[in-house]
Amino acid sequence: MLRNYFKTAWRSLLHNKVFSIINLAGLTVGLVCFMLLAIWLRHEMSYDRFHEKSDRLYMAYNKATLDNQVNCWESSPSPLGPALKAEFPEIDQMVRTTGEQFLFAYGKLALNGSCFITDSSFLSMFSFPLLQGDKYTALRDAHGVVITETFAKKMFGNENPMNKTVKINNTTNFTVTGVLKELPANTVFGFDYLLPWSFLNEMGWDRQYWGNNAFRTYVTLKPDASVDAVNKKIAGITRKHSGGHEKVDVFLYPLSQYHLHNKFAEGHPAGGRIEIVNLFIAVAFSILLIACINFMNLSTARSEKRAREVGVRKVVGAGKSGLVLQFLLESMLLAITSFVLAIVLVTLLLPAFSQLTRQQLHIDFAHPFIWLLGAGATLLTGLLAGSYPAFYLSSFKPIVVLKQKIVTGKASVTPRKVLVVTQFACSTVFIIATIVIYFQIRYAQNRDAGYNRDNIVYAGLSGQLGDKFDAVKNDLLTSGAAVAVCKTNQSLDNARSNSWGLNWPGKDPNANIVFDMMATTGDFEKTFDIKMTLGRAIDGKNFPTDSTACMLNESAVKAMGLKQPLGVLIDKDFVKWHVVGVFKDFVWGSPLDVTKPMMIEGADWSNIINIRLNPARSTQASLAAIGNIFKAYNPDYPFEYNFLDEKYARKFRDVQMMGTMAKLFAALTIFISCIGLLGLASFTAVQRSREIGIRKVLGASVQNIVLLLSKEFLWLIAIAFAVALPVAWYMMNGWLLQYNYRIGLSWWMFAAGGTALLLIAFGSVSYQAIRAAVTNPVKTLKTE
Amino acid sequence: MIKISALEKVYRTEEVETVALNKLSFEVRDGEFVAVMGPSGCGKSTLLNILGLLDDPDAGSFLFNGIEVAHFNERKRADLRKHNIGFVFQSFNLIDELTVFENVELPLIYTGVKPAERKKRVEEVLDKVQIMHRRNHYPQQLSGGQQQRVAVARAVVNQPKLILADEPTGNLDSSNGNEVMQLLTDLNEQGTTIVMVTHSEHDARYSHRIIRMLDGQTVTENINSLL
Repeated sequence: MLRNYFKTAWRSLLHNKVFSIINLAGLTVGLVCFMLLAIWLRHEMSYDRFHEKSDRLYMAYNKATLDNQVNCWESSPSPLGPALKAEFPEIDQMVRTTGEQFLFAYGKLALNGSCFITDSSFLSMFSFPLLQGDKYTALRDAHGVVITETFAKKMFGNENPMNKTVKINNTTNFTVTGVLKELPANTVFGFDYLLPWSFLNEMGWDRQYWGNNAFRTYVTLKPDASVDAVNKKIAGITRKHSGGHEKVDVFLYPLSQYHLHNKFAEGHPAGGRIEIVNLFIAVAFSILLIACINFMNLSTARSEKRAREVGVRKVVGAGKSGLVLQFLLESMLLAITSFVLAIVLVTLLLPAFSQLTRQQLHIDFAHPFIWLLGAGATLLTGLLAGSYPAFYLSSFKPIVVLKQKIVTGKASVTPRKVLVVTQFACSTVFIIATIVIYFQIRYAQNRDAGYNRDNIVYAGLSGQLGDKFDAVKNDLLTSGAAVAVCKTNQSLDNARSNSWGLNWPGKDPNANIVFDMMATTGDFEKTFDIKMTLGRAIDGKNFPTDSTACMLNESAVKAMGLKQPLGVLIDKDFVKWHVVGVFKDFVWGSPLDVTKPMMIEGADWSNIINIRLNPARSTQASLAAIGNIFKAYNPDYPFEYNFLDEKYARKFRDVQMMGTMAKLFAALTIFISCIGLLGLASFTAVQRSREIGIRKVLGASVQNIVLLLSKEFLWLIAIAFAVALPVAWYMMNGWLLQYNYRIGLSWWMFAAGGTALLLIAFGSVSYQAIRAAVTNPVKTLKTE
Repeated sequence: MIKISALEKVYRTEEVETVALNKLSFEVRDGEFVAVMGPSGCGKSTLLNILGLLDDPDAGSFLFNGIEVAHFNERKRADLRKHNIGFVFQSFNLIDELTVFENVELPLIYTGVKPAERKKRVEEVLDKVQIMHRRNHYPQQLSGGQQQRVAVARAVVNQPKLILADEPTGNLDSSNGNEVMQLLTDLNEQGTTIVMVTHSEHDARYSHRIIRMLDGQTVTENINSLL
């Protein structure tokens, strides 16, 4: 019996080539999207779950009320970890980390590598396997370094790196005590090598100060400990040790949650990257659904033909359940064929998709995931697509279908209309989303950053460059390569420092403003073309007292409520900073966010040199000159630099990825919907060919016929648009709300989406309509 | 074999009520060959559908082999049908996707006959209707007469007691038509009961008895004078 079903199903697919190709194309594209997204989502959700102790691994978070909001952040002070371990028996292990860039030199080769300075239990807390060395002792040695496989290849080539002596930061010799297997792609950690915590002490950087949140602290709990109970006990630890000076609470947060759920609102987890993940889960399922709808629609549309077969089978003894099985088999067969094609396409497309998502995605064919996923998706597709046609077709009464034509009047297509509306509503939502995302990106990209980021390079003040900064600056300016040079403690593309608890005369005692913090010694405004609106800029060369001077941005002046900002003394970190100038707001953090209050101090703790290149010279020549000057001071260091405008452009990577994905999936959804519509239209045209013939004989023009055939589909599109409108508005409004610097939703974005869809749909319907309309009526009337 | 009495069937739409069968009664004995004739709309097809257990009457009695089947449910009717009744349609109704052999095999699959037995029986019956040489062809590759012979083969492969034929020669030319009528006569002579609806006086002459209908009722019933 099953063999007979298979045979019929297979021959039926071969026999109706157009139908099969449309469905195969739709289902394959649907499955490809579904599988690519599933692979990506699985990767996103696997972050840091591979650690053996994953269920006991936590990060220490701080929580404090600032600006009347409860803020949570994951950096913590250096003494926190040891105190947690010493005072609470529930805590099993503790590890602190801080990231640095140091020169790593072996023989003649020297490279800047990013490192983690960390406690010795790092390798036993996290599951990063060692290729060589012992995980318990590798970081015990005060001058032992553990390097990753890739970095070892770069530094040592084919030599065995173990026990080799290397020079770090151009100052201290270390011995390689371990080689780590390449870090997996699904971890939030990223480094080239690990150094023991003692090195921080050696350099005098480990301040035992509870207010310096410059580190990350990780702990594992004992297996029987409850995190809720521990969180109650540890909350006040920072207040206790700082004598109440630091008004922050400490809590533990699962590391496995960090990658996807790292946004907090009012002290509670409030999503994060998971929102994008959920959004794309919805996208994956809607694409598959849209592809399934094609199958349902086309199967029921050609039911007239299949109806006779159903009738015959019933007459010769088939039961309803057998027929349902037969039709489900048919959709299954199609789904399985699509799956095979999809696997091939997914394998081919994965590298491009990895690039798009900026993740290292791969398919592990040995792992059951891909097969379970494939089988699941195929089964789902087959059942979803096949069930409606199966029950619809198998319910035909033989006497009706064998003796007369089944009714294909207006009532019988209602479920089909609903399905078409669903498809096109999804497509409309995608089109509108694409439009909104495009304009939001453009809006933020066109935003005046408040400074001129072209022609600026910056580099780390490594080696002698920091100590002999004035001489370096002088050489750069006299060489003609640079027109302005300044040093800062951070680069202008990345806001990573802020401070609160500042005081000044007349401050509202209830206000607790968070300031973005930067430091420079002078020529800041010249280098970046930043406009001073009041007073002067910091100038340590001509005003020696500027080491305790500061400048504020306009937002800060406004937030602080200062009428006369110049000369105001601001109390911060036990220093009184006097305001010498006010500058126009510039974008430091995300261009999608409003500018925050900012304070730039005149203190000299800079580690970055910013250079405005001479516009009259070629960039190449200037860079060569700068490289020579750097080499003169730092012969052991490689010349590494960044272009500020390139770094600035990177701020848009995430939102651009969203934009590209939205575009891609909108296009695919429309494609699938349209080939479905095309198929449906061609069936209608065939079904109504006699009617069209008669109408033509009676004098209908081609336009009349095209309109007649297109009208009913265009109606459906209009309804789909009406359905999609509120959904798209709700979704895109929610999406925009996450950006403080954003466009408003305008009616024309929706209108443009609707018009685009209407045109595309009309294009696919009218082709069939015109073809039907120009057919000679003699042909259609005769064949009846 | 068949005894119907006071059979009624009414079709209703919103505006019109059409009486298809109006207290119709007659009997068909085992081994008979009966032709049902009458103008379009007289209720012949409705009658055939009810006799074939494809449709149920609104009122009246229908005894099939002495069992009251008028109010059997769909499942019971299907079961009775597949073991006892074969159909031949005017428009052949072969499945395009199946070969001649497979079309004829279909009823045997649904009644659960084993493959080896199926092969034997299908070949036998294809031989009988002289279409064995085209067993691997698809319906579209056959002439109308050949298609109808396949349809007849399909109708008899299960060895039904009753064959219902609905204008079996309606789509055939006269020589092909005669061949099919000869085939039915042969089957009848081997013991199969046949009820045939037809417009053709020529075809009706092959039968033992002609029932003439008008407006859902029997007008005349006469033994075929030619016999």
